[in-house]
Amino acid sequence: MGESSIPDWMKQWQALSQQSVNAWTEVARDAMSQAGHGRVDGFEQWSRAFGAGPGKGGQAETIERLVDGAKNYVAFMQSLIAAASANAPNGVPSWSDALRQAFTMPGGPASFEHPLMRLWKEQATAGHAQAALGKLFGTLPGGANPAEELKSWLQLPAFGYLREHQEHQQKSAVAWVDYQEQLARYNAKMLEAARRGFELFEGKLSEREQPGRQIESLRALYDLWVDAAEEGYAEIALSKEFRDVYGALTNAQMRLRSQIHQEIERLSADLGMPTRSELNNIGERLQALRREVRAQRGGDAFIDELATLRREFDDLRAAVEGARASDREGSAKAAAVGTGTPAPKAARKTARAGEQAVPATKKPPKRRARNARSERAVAAVAPGNFASRIARFADASLGSRTGKNVETAEKAHKPGKPRKSGKKKH
Amino acid sequence: MGPIKIEPTKALDEALTTQRKLAAAIDTLRQVDDVDFGATAKEAIYREDKLVVYRFRGDRPPTAKVPILIVYALVNRPYMVDLQDDRSLVKNLLAKGEDVYLIDWGYPDLADRWLTLDDYINGYIARSVDAVARHARVRKVNLLGICQGGAFSLCFAAMHPHKVQNLITMVTPVDFQTPENMLSNWVQKLDVDLFVDTLGNVPADLMNLCYLMLKPVRLNQQKYIGLVDILDDKVEMENFLRMEKWIFDSPDQAGEAFRQFIKDFYQGNKLVRGGLKIGERDVNLADVTMPVLNVFAEQDHLVPPSASRVLGEHVGTDDYTQIAFRGGHIGIYVSGRAQREVPAAIHDWLAQRAR
Repeated sequence: MGESSIPDWMKQWQALSQQSVNAWTEVARDAMSQAGHGRVDGFEQWSRAFGAGPGKGGQAETIERLVDGAKNYVAFMQSLIAAASANAPNGVPSWSDALRQAFTMPGGPASFEHPLMRLWKEQATAGHAQAALGKLFGTLPGGANPAEELKSWLQLPAFGYLREHQEHQQKSAVAWVDYQEQLARYNAKMLEAARRGFELFEGKLSEREQPGRQIESLRALYDLWVDAAEEGYAEIALSKEFRDVYGALTNAQMRLRSQIHQEIERLSADLGMPTRSELNNIGERLQALRREVRAQRGGDAFIDELATLRREFDDLRAAVEGARASDREGSAKAAAVGTGTPAPKAARKTARAGEQAVPATKKPPKRRARNARSERAVAAVAPGNFASRIARFADASLGSRTGKNVETAEKAHKPGKPRKSGKKKH
Repeated sequence: MGPIKIEPTKALDEALTTQRKLAAAIDTLRQVDDVDFGATAKEAIYREDKLVVYRFRGDRPPTAKVPILIVYALVNRPYMVDLQDDRSLVKNLLAKGEDVYLIDWGYPDLADRWLTLDDYINGYIARSVDAVARHARVRKVNLLGICQGGAFSLCFAAMHPHKVQNLITMVTPVDFQTPENMLSNWVQKLDVDLFVDTLGNVPADLMNLCYLMLKPVRLNQQKYIGLVDILDDKVEMENFLRMEKWIFDSPDQAGEAFRQFIKDFYQGNKLVRGGLKIGERDVNLADVTMPVLNVFAEQDHLVPPSASRVLGEHVGTDDYTQIAFRGGHIGIYVSGRAQREVPAAIHDWLAQRAR
């Protein structure tokens, strides 16, 4: 094509444009006819047609997103080819010049809109409110610094029967002006990101001048452009300045929304309709009540758990004391057998005292067997299960501090701060 | 020699061909039925409000004695871990003999506006853990927390260490204020009280738009242009749609929980700085004393690796392992490499600690 003349170029370009329109129109006509519309022409109608006709598979949202993306990409290609053909000395297009001329941020401004701004646009009610506010404040007096003049005008004291209402409207208007200011700051940052993206794009292009690294397709050029745009955007979006701007815009929109909510609530109350605040109050009380009920249920369960734990604890204590008494009795008998004389009174008293620690309802012959069972029980449960149950109880009823202490006690073999040296890292 | 060597005729052809393919892609999309997700059979073992705890059923009974409970983030739907037959963390874990349960949070509505992090962590998660322990007849479970669910799992494990045998965190933010964390940068100056008081629950669409703004051109435009490359591949097209469905299938966020999460985790960075309280309980990562496996993605644009890899410096356990996965926040579940590497790594790590 380097040998083509400029008129040939233009002819081809015109043919491309026609083919492009035809291709889109053909698809759009099908979609429109399915959606009950007549024939349409042009890209915008085409994309709208798909909004109207979601297709049978429920992929309407995906189609919508694809259409948005495709529109921008097609615009990128068309503007690039158009600019290149207009700057084609001797029939050889200057792509770099074309890029500079045709450059807009890939994705267009919509891709870089603040999420709240975009969401608000999509919300019909809020959108109407926004439009109404825009109309209202668009008629207010301007000047060298309209925003400041408007703000000072809006700070005039209110008076009379409708004073409160007027104050609310003034606050809403101030919130609106502030929102517009923050939005302008945000858009300026996005412009900065676009400029930075183009700088990076030029840098990336300069790295591809050697044969073999050159870009040979519009798609490759586009992909490189996207890489640069994302890098430029990330630099801005991660900056401290952007943090301030983003936060300020979000907060400004919230103040404005809040004002609108209050106005709607006032109107709803006047009309005897339930309001969002009332619903919120009910919801909050309901959740608080649920927590109380749950705590109550949990409390009952823990009372049962406590009673069980007490019984276990009493049994265990009795078992341990019984075992000690048996040991002492055995020692005393052994001593008596060894000397061939009766055990001294003191030893017998000690043994009896030990026996008395065992519940009186149990008869001596069964006591030893019971002690053995208890010892086995102690061995089986201590320290893990019993401590864990204590932990569960303490954890839920007394708070985490107690729970942690018990847990720590379970891990008594690891005193102090755990070691880190043994950590494995891959 | 310039950097661009595009033949004008080829450029014209390319532009036209691309337009035709895009039109064809849209036409194809209009004919495609809705895609399904979820590859593995499951049964509900516990329900409470909108929450359901599922147990997945594998082709054979599990050999692992301690079950895994997956705690997913609130901000997306949990079926990402079982997206389709050949992209399923769950299926691969079951094949290794693990016993896998999952918490499905459902879709919060206005009735859930007042749910706090205490309700979620010391309430829902605690009762789900108890339910799984009862069902599996064990005292402790293995927790597998993902993304925000990983942060919740860390809190839970710190507050209830006696209920957690092993803790696995995947793409989990721990230090919420590392320099590469774009989301964190955006919320630092947010008046979150005003935000939640005004919005109530945080709309899912708003959350989605925020995520798209992390890479606005790539996510709003370039990936759709890439559709022309897979137009003729029905399977790839369905995979794309399935992923697309998951990305935009987001629940609203309960207002109070969102308020506390932004304040304490993003703005206060209390998980690493200390001072975090969930309800009446203190959360101290030094109390995470059970073995910990931390898996993060090296190309994660949502949770930068730097936000995850610091976990080892803060937990109290002396048995800490971390794995850096070559991929992104989503690829760690659905990429081919993830299918091969991640479930095997989790299973092997658990098996070593089961001996």
